[in-house]
Amino acid sequence: MATAAQRRIKSVSYAKYGYLFTAPFFIVYFIFMFWPLLQTFILAFYGNGVGEKLDAAGTSINCFVGTQNFKTILVGGTDFLSMGAHDDFFQYFKNTIIIWVGNFFPQIALSLLLAVWFTDLRVKMPGKGFFKVVMYMPNIITAASVAGLFMTLVGDSKYSVLNVFLMNRGMEEPLQLATGEWSSRFIVMFIQIWMWFGNTMIMLMSGIQGINESLFEAAEIDGANSTQTFWRITFPLLKTIMVYTLLTSMIGGLQMFDIPFMFHTGNIINQYLATVAVFIYDKFHKNYMSPSYGYSAAASVILFVITSILGALVFWVQRDKDAMELAKKRRQAVKEWKRKQKRGGGFSI
Amino acid sequence: MNKLKKSLAVIATLAIASTGLVACGGDSSSTPATTTKASTTAAATTAAAGSTAAAGSTEAAGSTTAAAAPAGENKFKDDDSSKLTILAWNADDVGPMIQKFEELNPDKKGKLEYKNVGSKGQEAHEQYATYFKGGNDVDLFVMEADWILDYIDNDEYTAPITDLGFSTDDFKGNYAYTVAIGTNKNGVLKGASWQATPGAYVYNKEMAEKYLGAKTPAEMQEFVKDWDTFTATAKKLQDEGHKIAMADTLGGMWQVWQYNRKNAWADKDDNLVIDEFCKTYAELAKQYYDNGYVTKEGQWTDGWNAMGQGEDTMGFFFCTWCLGKGGQLEKTSGGAGGKNYGKFDICAGPSAWAWGGSWLGLSPKCNNGTLAHDFVKTFTVDETTMADYALFKGEFVNNPNVMKKLVDEKKNQNPALGNADQFAVLYEAASKIDMDGKITKFDSQIKDAFNKSVEKYVKGQVADYAAMENDFKKAAAQITGLNVQ
Repeated sequence: MATAAQRRIKSVSYAKYGYLFTAPFFIVYFIFMFWPLLQTFILAFYGNGVGEKLDAAGTSINCFVGTQNFKTILVGGTDFLSMGAHDDFFQYFKNTIIIWVGNFFPQIALSLLLAVWFTDLRVKMPGKGFFKVVMYMPNIITAASVAGLFMTLVGDSKYSVLNVFLMNRGMEEPLQLATGEWSSRFIVMFIQIWMWFGNTMIMLMSGIQGINESLFEAAEIDGANSTQTFWRITFPLLKTIMVYTLLTSMIGGLQMFDIPFMFHTGNIINQYLATVAVFIYDKFHKNYMSPSYGYSAAASVILFVITSILGALVFWVQRDKDAMELAKKRRQAVKEWKRKQKRGGGFSI
Repeated sequence: MNKLKKSLAVIATLAIASTGLVACGGDSSSTPATTTKASTTAAATTAAAGSTAAAGSTEAAGSTTAAAAPAGENKFKDDDSSKLTILAWNADDVGPMIQKFEELNPDKKGKLEYKNVGSKGQEAHEQYATYFKGGNDVDLFVMEADWILDYIDNDEYTAPITDLGFSTDDFKGNYAYTVAIGTNKNGVLKGASWQATPGAYVYNKEMAEKYLGAKTPAEMQEFVKDWDTFTATAKKLQDEGHKIAMADTLGGMWQVWQYNRKNAWADKDDNLVIDEFCKTYAELAKQYYDNGYVTKEGQWTDGWNAMGQGEDTMGFFFCTWCLGKGGQLEKTSGGAGGKNYGKFDICAGPSAWAWGGSWLGLSPKCNNGTLAHDFVKTFTVDETTMADYALFKGEFVNNPNVMKKLVDEKKNQNPALGNADQFAVLYEAASKIDMDGKITKFDSQIKDAFNKSVEKYVKGQVADYAAMENDFKKAAAQITGLNVQ
């Protein structure tokens, strides 16, 4: 028989302190993260005018307009407003995909190559640490500085480093690389690769180092050359980290904003570089005395949906087929067994 | 835990539901009568602050002259613990102004400061909005012609200048156009400008003599007296095999051209106005760009800063504030003592024009009434101190009498122009400035959109003018409130 005191002690629950201590995080999260997130989805279905300034359709941010914003962006229309928004969005989406694809694949190839070299037991490279640091360095520089740096190097001006160099050697007219359609995209792809390959390399290296060393040793003893080792051991075992890299890079790539936005002179953003994120920013910011929040939010939601679909696709493609096959077999076996039990039971009666 | 979950769920649901409850004020085709809660409260606050007091006794909209209000008392208190804070978008003007003001009023030393948002055009406009929203101290702020209407038509941001204890007659000495722009749609004077901004053609003397044989500004003017002649001169230089551009940047040419546009960018019903000007300018820009009559550099770039020291740009379209101390002319000629410093001269150029301009706006939250009054008076009302500042900064101050006197007395010598007096040339141009009815609240955005399309055209990214116009219309249609047909 427990005394009163014992009963009281038993009933004291320490769990509530746990909730209390974690509460600040949840409160901040709901106010500053979750609510704005939700608000984006809500805004996507509301008009674009603010206060007394109504938009072309006569609606403001307080008016529910259904899927009108999505229609304008995705389908377009006959008026200049819809045509402009529609054309811009698709042009910018195209830019985003081109720039992302153009920087992701060379980047991952380069990073993988370097990661393999840096971790290979047989390659005795001096100063590995030095190279790792140097290669990671560009990632530390702010995007604004990088954009400014490259503008000085390869900008349209005849005073840019490249143009001065070439014109001193007899070229007549300065190259207009920073505003050309493909040249500017190529420059931005290059910048993205240069900024991020170090980061990706470090990630892949940690992946490779996570592979059991005895596998490499066994391969070496069996007489595998480095190509074989790479394709038969390193690459397959790196799959998880590769999927992770692909996913993060894809999400980051679809939201790419800084370099494409800043790589220009004057106040005209290069139309071949502008990304979906630039579109979103432009819509609520350029016109900021009467911002078009509706279009921005709708474009964000579209981007979110596209990202989700692509993310799901990556998971689907990279799914572990063997494990799924096993799970399926197990499920079937269980079913079979249950059926048998049932049937057996029936007979027994 | 369940309670927590429940309360969170309730909070989230309520939050979502509350947005659904916000009324839309009838159907979506409702007229501007639909005011939101937010704007109503904002209006109420400003009304409470007393800044709309003068709005009642004003003339009808569309009038360009301010209602004559007698000098009243200064409605703003003095808070000695707070400095007079002036918001500006660069350090070029307000810095020297404060310096001069402190020199004239030694007892006020250290009581003034300025906040530099460090950007330009539309961006500066936005930086301001952020600054205001942050509730920071601001007494006076500088506004630009392109977006002044957003502020002076909004009582939340600006109070009538006369609230400082001025009468509108105090500003009679100013160039009429500056007063017209500083006056809002209800006829209330909300902005006082310390400068008029006529522009001219500033050219390299040595090059003009070498390549064109022009020895004096008068002779040079013959080569650039109108746009046909200007083009012919540019063509002549190219035909003779010299790689010399007559004009510095498309941006500079644009300033000259846009000033001479006959129509406003939007009519009174907020419809975009596309006229002959657009085509003429776009075709001219293309011709100049393709043939090297203008350089391919942009304004406000390193290239622009450097080209004055080379042998490939004949001249620049500069206005008053490019020519003063620390201005663009000084920069591009290599700074005082630089390579081409003092080797420039000035002539009127193909057409009279003006570029930008700055107005002092008064914040309803001003808490240094006396200082603000004195500051505005020193630079926009008092002719003696204005003349003083004109010579100090090389500023074309906003008073024809002062400028006339300075020109007659030949007091001004600009070392960047080889000691020539730019005021003599600019004074002529200033008398021709007339911006009446040509400023709209969409200007900065429309001009941005137009220039973006022109850039696409000159760089061959759109095929022809028709495609360019279409591109421009699509971009302009994105501006909320502007109708594009």
